[in-house]
Amino acid sequence: MKKKVLTRRDFLRVTAVTPFAGMVVLKGKPGQEIKAETKAKVVLIRDKNALVSFKKPNPDVIQRMLDDGITKLLGEKDPVKAWKKLVRPSDIVGIKSNVWSYIPTTREVEQALKRRIMDTGVLEENIGIDDRGVRGNQIFEKATVLINARPARTHHWSGMGGCIKNYIMFVPSPPAYHGDSCADLATIWKDYNLKEKTKLNILLMLTPLFHGIGPHHYSKKYVWEYNGILVGQDPVAVDATGVRVLQAKRRQFFGEERPLQPPAKHIFLADTKHHLGVSHPDKIELIKLGWKEGILI
Amino acid sequence: MNFLFFVALVQCLLISALRLLDNFVKISQVRKFIWITIFLIFLGGIFLKGCGSDIEKSILENLLPQEIDGWKAKRMDKVYNQETIFDYIDGAGEVYRSYNFRRLLVRRYSKKGKPEIVADLFDMATSRDAYGVFTHDLEGEDAEIGQGSTYKGGLLSFWKDRFFVSLYAEEETEEAREAVFALGRKVASSIKNKGEKPEIISLFPQDKLDKKSIRYFHNHMILNYHFFVADENILLLDQESEVAMGTYREKNEKINLLIIRYLEAKKASEAYKNFTDIFLPDALESGLVQTEDSKWTATKLKNEFIIIIFNALSDSYAKKIIESVERKMENRKTVDKRDKQ
Repeated sequence: MKKKVLTRRDFLRVTAVTPFAGMVVLKGKPGQEIKAETKAKVVLIRDKNALVSFKKPNPDVIQRMLDDGITKLLGEKDPVKAWKKLVRPSDIVGIKSNVWSYIPTTREVEQALKRRIMDTGVLEENIGIDDRGVRGNQIFEKATVLINARPARTHHWSGMGGCIKNYIMFVPSPPAYHGDSCADLATIWKDYNLKEKTKLNILLMLTPLFHGIGPHHYSKKYVWEYNGILVGQDPVAVDATGVRVLQAKRRQFFGEERPLQPPAKHIFLADTKHHLGVSHPDKIELIKLGWKEGILI
Repeated sequence: MNFLFFVALVQCLLISALRLLDNFVKISQVRKFIWITIFLIFLGGIFLKGCGSDIEKSILENLLPQEIDGWKAKRMDKVYNQETIFDYIDGAGEVYRSYNFRRLLVRRYSKKGKPEIVADLFDMATSRDAYGVFTHDLEGEDAEIGQGSTYKGGLLSFWKDRFFVSLYAEEETEEAREAVFALGRKVASSIKNKGEKPEIISLFPQDKLDKKSIRYFHNHMILNYHFFVADENILLLDQESEVAMGTYREKNEKINLLIIRYLEAKKASEAYKNFTDIFLPDALESGLVQTEDSKWTATKLKNEFIIIIFNALSDSYAKKIIESVERKMENRKTVDKRDKQ
């Protein structure tokens, strides 16, 4: 059967484009109903003292935030018990980080994760932390569990760089996924057997980038200290919640509705087309912990 | 030095090749001559390619100063091409590839206790594409540098001749801002020639045109970046096609005009049919339809051009704009000449 071409008019049929990108965000592909899948739990933890300075998180506060997030997410009081629901001592664990120079995952976050994974009994030599070298990294090649941790930012080509996009380094040729604003990034999770292995998605919103300029898509003018971390098991729900924060910040900063350009359609197609998770706010149970000032959502 | 090395290398290889042929292969002098000629052409090709790369790199290096306002160039420049661009900038690399960029030279400047300045100098091969890539992001204030410039948030970008230049202070301080501007003026003055804007830009009717909205590009990916038309390439755009897009303001509404020029009229005709079949299957008259938001989309095929207007508030307005573009086409002095550069 010939593939149906999706045009601007298909979107107009569904809504009077208010705004166009908002429709992409909330409705997905026209004609497709939003499936009532399991409600995904996402925890947003914020702490006013999360940062020592702009690129330097406070390690103790970060550890506490992650502990609070995972215990709330998994319904345990003790963080190690919560981690034991995700990781067994015999596991080989890859922590997929992100080294983008302007807003990296940071060592503090990586080490906080590693510490708790080791607390579950996993040997240190069976834990790897990597980003651009995951292909060819022995730990990642043998990994039985993946923990996905990266900062949130707007992205020049995909709308937003989040948890779904963080796995592009598992493919031999990332540009192969650049078509139509990276629309089908979610396929990586299935094609490379990453969906089942990934036990936790952490979208760092400590200093998110809400707007980008120039070849590097970065200016310090467009980052702010949100001091938050989003934690969830559903990467789509985590990213979709991150998008809501970025959109809200853009609205506040620009004083008008300024949709992401391009829209982060890969996140919503990850739901409606690829069924990697859920993106609609109605399908996400968002739990907010900690500092409330400037929370935006 | 390179040349002397090459001559010596060829001499050695030639002698070796002749000996080998004499010892092991019984062939005529004529064939021997042919084989050696092919061999030398092959080596020469490799050598010239290498020289060409060096020359191009050297041109870029010479356009950037070693020092500006106390910021000194760090030791090693880096050079990227179409294949390696993603090592430097990930997703945005697609933008420069979409504009057929040839080479990027990156130089970092540092000054003790001050934010670093990153100079990205793109050789876009043609002034059309230097202008085009500049129009990809027009946010910011006019910095009056080069043939078109913007400044915002520590980033100065401009185009001149076949070059697109991006200068970025990693933190925006008053001193860094002044250095970025000084660097911009210096680089712009080092680029001696001026380039022509694409001719297609001159086809926009000027009345109520938002001049800061004009984009120039080639392919479907960039079209959808600025204005989503369809997930498939229904306008059959490719690296040879030229697309100019602009926005008109009417009663607080944005009306989008797209002018596309294909390499051949035949291709334009195929694209027009494909577009009207998919996007306007319900058109009441040829190329005109009221869309689901009560606005109008109109299109017209004219030789190697397609003109499309989206979001017009009335059918008469849509027709008026299209007619206006057609008149400009007819008035062009060089109807069939593409601006060769």
